[in-house]
Amino acid sequence: MRVNKTNYLVNRTPTFEVLTEEEIEAIYYSALTVLSETGVRVYHKEGYDLLGQHGANIEDVTEDSALVKIPPEMVDIALSTLPRKVVIYGAEPDQHKMELYKNQIYFGAGSDTPFTIDPYTGERRRAQYEDVKNFARLAEALPNLDFHMSLGIVQDVAVGTYDRWQYLAMLEGTNKPINITAVDKEGLEDQLEMAYIRVGGKEEWLKTPIFSLYIEPVSPLSHSVEVIDKLMFCAEKRIPFVYTPCPLAGATAPATLAGTAVQALTESLLGIVLSQLVRKGAPMIIGGLMSAMDMRTAVYSYGSPEMALLSAAYTQITKWLGVPEYETAGCSDAKMYDEQAAMEATMNIASAALVGGNMIHDVGYLEQGLTSSGEMMVASDEIIDMVKRILKGIPVDDDSKALHVIEEVGPGGHYLAHDHTFERFKGLIWSPKLVDRQNFEEWEASGSKTHRERVHERVIEILEQEEEPLMEEGMFNELKRICELADEKHKDEELDLDMFG
Amino acid sequence: MSDILSDISTLVIEGNFEDMPDKTNAAVEEGLSAEEILNNGLMPGMDHVGVEFKAGNMFVPEVLRSAKAMQAAMSIIRPMLAETGTETKGTILLGTVAGDLHDIGKNLVGMMCEGAGFEIIDLGKDVEPETFVEAVKEHKPRILGMSALLTTTMRAMERTIKALDEAGVRDTVKIMIGGAPVTQSFADDIGADGYAPNAASASDMAKQFAA
Ligand code: B12
Repeated sequence: MRVNKTNYLVNRTPTFEVLTEEEIEAIYYSALTVLSETGVRVYHKEGYDLLGQHGANIEDVTEDSALVKIPPEMVDIALSTLPRKVVIYGAEPDQHKMELYKNQIYFGAGSDTPFTIDPYTGERRRAQYEDVKNFARLAEALPNLDFHMSLGIVQDVAVGTYDRWQYLAMLEGTNKPINITAVDKEGLEDQLEMAYIRVGGKEEWLKTPIFSLYIEPVSPLSHSVEVIDKLMFCAEKRIPFVYTPCPLAGATAPATLAGTAVQALTESLLGIVLSQLVRKGAPMIIGGLMSAMDMRTAVYSYGSPEMALLSAAYTQITKWLGVPEYETAGCSDAKMYDEQAAMEATMNIASAALVGGNMIHDVGYLEQGLTSSGEMMVASDEIIDMVKRILKGIPVDDDSKALHVIEEVGPGGHYLAHDHTFERFKGLIWSPKLVDRQNFEEWEASGSKTHRERVHERVIEILEQEEEPLMEEGMFNELKRICELADEKHKDEELDLDMFG
Repeated sequence: MSDILSDISTLVIEGNFEDMPDKTNAAVEEGLSAEEILNNGLMPGMDHVGVEFKAGNMFVPEVLRSAKAMQAAMSIIRPMLAETGTETKGTILLGTVAGDLHDIGKNLVGMMCEGAGFEIIDLGKDVEPETFVEAVKEHKPRILGMSALLTTTMRAMERTIKALDEAGVRDTVKIMIGGAPVTQSFADDIGADGYAPNAASASDMAKQFAA
């Protein structure tokens, strides 16, 4: 089997560091202190019982939860069985795979925005099935996007089943690895069934899992019943999953970023310990969706420098721990793809890549994760491309120092027509597609288009490309059947789109 | 305005909750009524805070400090207000609806409304319609506020309103709703009395409902 890794890329110049090793250690050991002394609340009896059986202190048991205090040894044991590398495949496993470890960098979309910007009218409206499919098609076409998430909540189906429809819409649009979301355990079971069918059975799934599940504990320091249900199910079934806390500095976490990192790590460590108790070797990726509250508007900012900084810090911590990592970039607080969006995306993409995050999500997010945008996705693809050029660094060897060429050309000559230039310029001198570098007359002759207009045209161009379907009709119908069966069960939950005016 | 009332306004604006009890007691000793302290000392201070916050000159933690200073005075004058039968702003019952665990927005709305002089009863998150109904019956709030951040839980707002209706208490409260995916037209559709996109406008709306 020949396997092309999706955009295999190692940061050769991981020079961006925001924490020293001593600081990382201080954060880690503080998280262990919080975990063993403050404790975390677990709203899941089976979950806290299992932790209790293995040495955690179970205190303050209420009707629905318990305060769980985990001694450091339990974390050490869990870390000794946690896979240091997690691999997720695309729907056609021989086409795409992501190997998440150390400095491997992969970018992908965000998920579940209630709104989307209509690519034709520019209007902000509720997302629907076709939108999610179209975003997946964009992901399929864009070379720097390696995995995908549902850039929109499917709202033209029963609300309790939107997760299955989103998975179907994504499978229609892309063969890249997918990070799914699930309404609940039932939604996860249905999507697992769909994945088994798509990849050719359970055995094939175990060899080449074609999705990971996105799970978020509830900051501060709480793990809800639905979250633990999903975590335990994933660990049992060997479904790779992301366990990403979403603390908000100043609101659900300390305003000081070190404190936020300590709290987030404590939340992640609970996931690591519990998953390894359910099944040693259960694959997981720990997160990084962290920001500071904007203190004027009270929003969860997705374009803040604090988000970039915290993401970078968390990446360093997870690398030090040797755990695959989840990060956030390609997102913005702007309301449409505009100068602010480009500015914020450039900043957070650059810092995420330079620090070497593994699974970097939320490309395509606008408005604090409430709206998705094709323009944001297409533009981010090129920003990533540009940053990747920086990651390639400047290899210094005899050939690259080119002393013989300098000698040959000598003072006053030129390198334009030299073989050395001809043979090496591609890949070394980055060439943009959407960024404009024409001179004024050329730019004017090509329609005096702004960057935004060029990006928009590219979105439409991709959407209007004719493509062969990625799945055979029989396969599609089988998957759709699962969604429809779920709909029948959740009939009374239909969300009337007219309701929103 | 007497000096002491303008001092009280200043303490609110500065968020000085430490000096507030002494100042409030001093005002009472001077013979000022609780109503005067509230209407001419505390409220002008909070109104100023509201204006500054909307103008972007004050930040959330500062506003919450001011609300805390206001509370420090309220805990002293509240019993007196009750004694004289003075109309207070009333009670707001708050909760994040069933199935939803997002609570920061709801907490913020609660604190801002508290700062506007309301009493807040917070039912927390993941609150079932029946729990809302029981609490409305028990506490007889003037306003009910519901928060939802998920499309899957927005409908729990509709269910709650229906449950209130069936229990015959729908018309005893004004209902306001909010949360990121919620919109005015959704509020209209499910028969809520109002929608507010942020905490400051939530408190403005509550004031209107209470007027
Ligand atoms: C933080 C966060 C979380 C945290 C919440 C922690 C906590 N303690 O609250 C955690 C990690 C738990 C979480 C979980 C989930 N989340 Co979440 N979350 C967010 C996030 C990033 C920020 C929300 C926030 O705190 N904002 C800051 C506060 C201050 O703002 P606010 O809540 O909007 O409140 C303001 C106004 O709306 C208004 N308001 C709010 N309530 C009320 C009430 C009244 C009466 C009034 C008048 C006004 C009002 O005033 C407030 C102050 O100005 C949003 C994205 C976003 N930008 O909203 C996603 C988001 C809401 N989450 C989302 C999702 C999908 C989920 C999960 C389902 C993910 C998953 N698959 O597991 C789970 C669901 C868990 C559950 N059962 O509830 C989606 C929702 C999509 C949808 N419409 O269905 C969003 C939009 C992100 C996304 N694109 O994926 N989440």
